[in-house]
Amino acid sequence: MKQPRETHVDERTPIRERWIAQPPGASDEAVAGALLRSAAMVRPFGGKELAEVGARLRSKERFRPRPLVWQLAIAACLVLFGSALSAAVLYVLRAPTRSQQELPVAQPASKPVRHASLGTARPTAPIPPPATDPLPEPAVTPALPAPVRPSRAVAIREKLAAPVQPASASPEPTLAPVPAAGPSSLAQESRLLARALAKLRQEGDAEQALAILDEHRAEFGASGALLPEANATRIEALLRMGRYSQALALLDAQALIANGAGREMLVARAELRADKGRRVSALHDFDLLLRADAPADSVVERALYGRAVCRGKVGSWIGARNDFERYLATFPDGKFADKARAAMKQ
Amino acid sequence: MSLPNSDSMPTADGSSGVPNLEALYRAHAPTVARWAAKLSGPGADIEDLVHEIFLVARRRLPEFRGDAKVTTWLYRITERVALDHRRKDRFRRWFPLARQIEIEGTISPPHLTPVDELERRQSTETVYRMLDRMPDKYRTVLILFELEELSGEEIAALTGLKLATIWVHLHRARERFLVEMRRVSRRST
Repeated sequence: MKQPRETHVDERTPIRERWIAQPPGASDEAVAGALLRSAAMVRPFGGKELAEVGARLRSKERFRPRPLVWQLAIAACLVLFGSALSAAVLYVLRAPTRSQQELPVAQPASKPVRHASLGTARPTAPIPPPATDPLPEPAVTPALPAPVRPSRAVAIREKLAAPVQPASASPEPTLAPVPAAGPSSLAQESRLLARALAKLRQEGDAEQALAILDEHRAEFGASGALLPEANATRIEALLRMGRYSQALALLDAQALIANGAGREMLVARAELRADKGRRVSALHDFDLLLRADAPADSVVERALYGRAVCRGKVGSWIGARNDFERYLATFPDGKFADKARAAMKQ
Repeated sequence: MSLPNSDSMPTADGSSGVPNLEALYRAHAPTVARWAAKLSGPGADIEDLVHEIFLVARRRLPEFRGDAKVTTWLYRITERVALDHRRKDRFRRWFPLARQIEIEGTISPPHLTPVDELERRQSTETVYRMLDRMPDKYRTVLILFELEELSGEEIAALTGLKLATIWVHLHRARERFLVEMRRVSRRST
């Protein structure tokens, strides 16, 4: 009787260590971690994909057939096929019975041939083919029209095609193209951002910079023309204020690429992820930064050291050693050089 | 990975008014894509899934009353769409001609050789085969904790379950995963 209760208590215990962060080993957990690590990396949904899907959402593209359509079509085919098969089987089974029932009836001697032919020809007759087509291949476009209610479909299409209406006129939200910021609003956005940057970088007042950025958000929402710049400034301000979790949350929502200003943000995200124990995600970011054509600058310096540390923590000793060696070869007087040497000695 | 910071519904004109799908898409599409990829597994067309998720979001935007966080709301749509996709995929397995064996939506670190890459793809397929044998509630929690690297608190916020329930599901999911792993290991030997 005690066993389930103890199990129940154990099951409520918070789990802090992820399998995925376990160093390689022979234990079941380590093997599971290695397996899960392989499945953890997904292709980032970058700017290109983002734009493509956004364009599809904005376009008047007809909705794809819904799963319900398929399910109904397949169910109908199955029912028809089943009915036809049952009818055929019943027909075959009942035919001898019918002929047996007819046997005792006294028939004129002149008509035995007709009964004999009926009794034998019917059971041996080929089963009629089912009235339905074979089951459709689910990957292709269905032959059946999508049972979208015409009025609804037309309404949706019209809604998509319609120009942007004021909020009060249209209760249902439309996917309107991003309103082009006019020169005045762009100028206003620029002024706000310039103020925020001046507060942040010249006066070192991150809190005030954040307040200005909040003002920007309230004014322009997520449709501001300078939203990426505002986000980058917000992240910088949050980092300066030590609000790492918020900065990481914002960074996680960005589709970052290892180019230009994106590299700074990517390395910051990788370091924050590593700091939070999300070593696999951190390693993914570091890998992006350390491609063969990456210049030997401060970003690569941080990425190289960060990846070495992460690799060491997940038990990839050889990888960690390689990274430390590469770090010391590239940045012999770098700011992590002493730590790297100490780690190498260990 | 943690959740996006903005918990309020993005609007076209700032903090109030009609929710704007464009803003919602811009703010959350990468996160939604990641969830969709992890929940649906290899072979899924992530662009199609994201498209479908935001079509559902557009349809349901008027019903969003702001009781839940926008991330929670979007996550639930994502979960449902991913589940539908898995059902379709399960159905397709009965039709070998229609089944396309392809692993999309995954990336490989730049240092992997083709052989490593093949092994990694096979491992990914194996992982998802094992996950697919679990009840959805355990599968989801395990994916969010191990693959998406969310904390228990973040998973609770997303799924709307109590934190204690999350831990129970996670413990059980881990047990089942190990059982499945041993079963696969026995079969392969």
